[in-house]
Amino acid sequence: MSEHNTNQGSAVRHRHRTEGPQKHVIAFIFSIVLTLIAFAAVAAGGVNASFTIILLVVMAVLQVLVQLGYWMHLKDKGHMIPILFMAFGFFVAGTAVITALYWVWW
Amino acid sequence: MAHAHSVKRHTGLMDWLTTVDHKKIGILYLIAGALFFGIGGIEALMIRWQLIKPMNDFVSAQTFNELITMHGTTMIFLGVMPLIFALMNAVVPLQIGARDVAFPFLNSLGFWTFLFGGILLNISWMMGGAPDAGWTAYTPLSTTAYSGTHGVDFYTVGLQIAGLGTLIGGINFLATVITMRAPGMTFMRMPMFTWTAFITSAIILFAFPAITVGLVLLSFDRILGANFFEVSNGGNPVLWQHIFWIFGHPEVYILILPAFGVISDVIPTFARKRLFGYSSMVFATILIAFLGFMVWAHHMFTTGMGPVANALFSISTMLIAVPTGIKIFNWLFTLWGGQIRFTSANLYASGFIPTFVMGGVTGVMLASAPADYQFHDTYFVVAHFHYVIVGGLVLGLFSGLHYWWPKMFGRVLDEKLGKIGFWFFIIGFHLTFFVQHFLGLMGMQRRIFTYLPGQGFDTLNLVSTVGALMMGVGVLVFLLNVVVTTRRPADAPNDPWEDGRTLEWSIPSPPPEYNFKQTPLVRGLDAYWKEKMAGHTEMTPAEPVGPIHMPSASILPFVMSVGIFVAGLGFMYHQYLVVGLGLIVTFVCMAIRSLYDDHGWHIDPEETTEKGVKA
Repeated sequence: MSEHNTNQGSAVRHRHRTEGPQKHVIAFIFSIVLTLIAFAAVAAGGVNASFTIILLVVMAVLQVLVQLGYWMHLKDKGHMIPILFMAFGFFVAGTAVITALYWVWW
Repeated sequence: MAHAHSVKRHTGLMDWLTTVDHKKIGILYLIAGALFFGIGGIEALMIRWQLIKPMNDFVSAQTFNELITMHGTTMIFLGVMPLIFALMNAVVPLQIGARDVAFPFLNSLGFWTFLFGGILLNISWMMGGAPDAGWTAYTPLSTTAYSGTHGVDFYTVGLQIAGLGTLIGGINFLATVITMRAPGMTFMRMPMFTWTAFITSAIILFAFPAITVGLVLLSFDRILGANFFEVSNGGNPVLWQHIFWIFGHPEVYILILPAFGVISDVIPTFARKRLFGYSSMVFATILIAFLGFMVWAHHMFTTGMGPVANALFSISTMLIAVPTGIKIFNWLFTLWGGQIRFTSANLYASGFIPTFVMGGVTGVMLASAPADYQFHDTYFVVAHFHYVIVGGLVLGLFSGLHYWWPKMFGRVLDEKLGKIGFWFFIIGFHLTFFVQHFLGLMGMQRRIFTYLPGQGFDTLNLVSTVGALMMGVGVLVFLLNVVVTTRRPADAPNDPWEDGRTLEWSIPSPPPEYNFKQTPLVRGLDAYWKEKMAGHTEMTPAEPVGPIHMPSASILPFVMSVGIFVAGLGFMYHQYLVVGLGLIVTFVCMAIRSLYDDHGWHIDPEETTEKGVKA
């Protein structure tokens, strides 16, 4: 943990890339497409229900990644600490839920 | 002041109610924490007095249940946690070369919500009886079926409000350590106390949401008639135990890690050596925090989780002994060959090591699931957790208070009284709790309000009570020391221990409100020691002298907390008009804070030079 955390403090504050809007436009379109696919899968109705659920989950995960990466800037440099903390949060919550389900209520 | 806008500066009581200065908030935490610590201590003495002889009738069984519940809850949530925050506030910004915490306003808000939560919990004594279901509030004992009075409601609502303050404080210190370090202060150059404060804050961030959810569910069950823990309606009482301990076990690491940090700062200073194995200390701290989230079910071996869960939680629990052992050996190797001075602070630190090891060893014993069936809910457990919390954390707190008292108040605590207090406290401590191991093994159950004669419990309980009284004397000697010292002139030098290694000793005691006239340049671990060894008497500044930006004082955090307090009290008694009123007060304050831009104010360079304060 120590190595890449070095000088993170100043990095978070100062690093605001002046990249063009293209990537954000693409991300925005991608978000909308993901949403449309999800809507369409439900609206179409004819599709197998369990397939729809899996599709929705996949779309949701992709959506979260786009949101975090582009709009919360987690893909940029200097965001290691938020990523670490979020990952640990998922880990703690996941441990609690999975352990409770599969060890404790075996 | 050269600036056009003048700043209203409060004095007296108003200054303390509105302050956003981390040093003053640290003192507020210290006073409030000491107050609750005193209340919890009196409750402890009453418990011990009831148990001094068989069939005693000093208090009734009901009062005894209230006493043990409030002793545990008060000590953990309202006593030692604020004292930890007191040290963190007083020291962490100074150790990283910062002028304040990242969010001074939130710092104040965190303190006031904690205080009002604590007050709400404690007024239960005067409002129909305190909580009486144990500090763990296990369901179904804590549901309305078995706790019909409002006692446990005070527990759920009071802890919810106090927990809000703790969460705010934890997030604040995370942001502070990540973003406010002075130039050159890399993560691996941070003093150990700052490291442990950082990791403790991270544990708070991940553990407190669990208790928040648990308390919401329990208060919904009790106040709104929900059925989360009600078996007859499909609920599950064991669920509460899981939620409580998913929070509760990380909580004990929240408590002990800052004590580890204090010891890791005190021992190098008074052994005149750099800390042995600094990077392994950092690694061990992180590992303890990490493993701390995977062991909660060892509190529940006897609930019938089955052999798989019991075995795996046993192993994960025993694993924690590894990083803890690394720490113990590092402290011993730091002392090894050092020029040791046994000041009061170092006495407490040296007393901490063997005492904490004893608590750790009984911890490993308890981690063994088959043996735990024998130990569970006996005085063995009581002895174990008092060894780690009192013998660990409280000794660490006293060590830290003696060590940093001059930095907080400008006066060095009296060494003679400090040592007398230490000997009373540590001898009393071992008398009280060492014998409880044997009481537990002989079969004395935890939380019983009295016992029959002729079971071999009589003498050991008497010894235990005598020890508790000695601990009380030790604490009184400390208070006497504070009074005596406060009457002396505030003449502590920058570095009263002369061997200070970290940044806080490079500035006056107590520091000016802006801490550092010029932000220091950090050139290595033990930044101030490094400068001393290079022949310098002060830190190299990292910036020219300039105006210093300061946050504005504000009464809003206090008013917001009053609003939450009123709303909480109303919720308990189903007075939803009162709830609405309290929440309106809080939300109006939030709106004012959000809509009104407060840019703070500046201290001019001339003003800082007049005081003759160097970086």
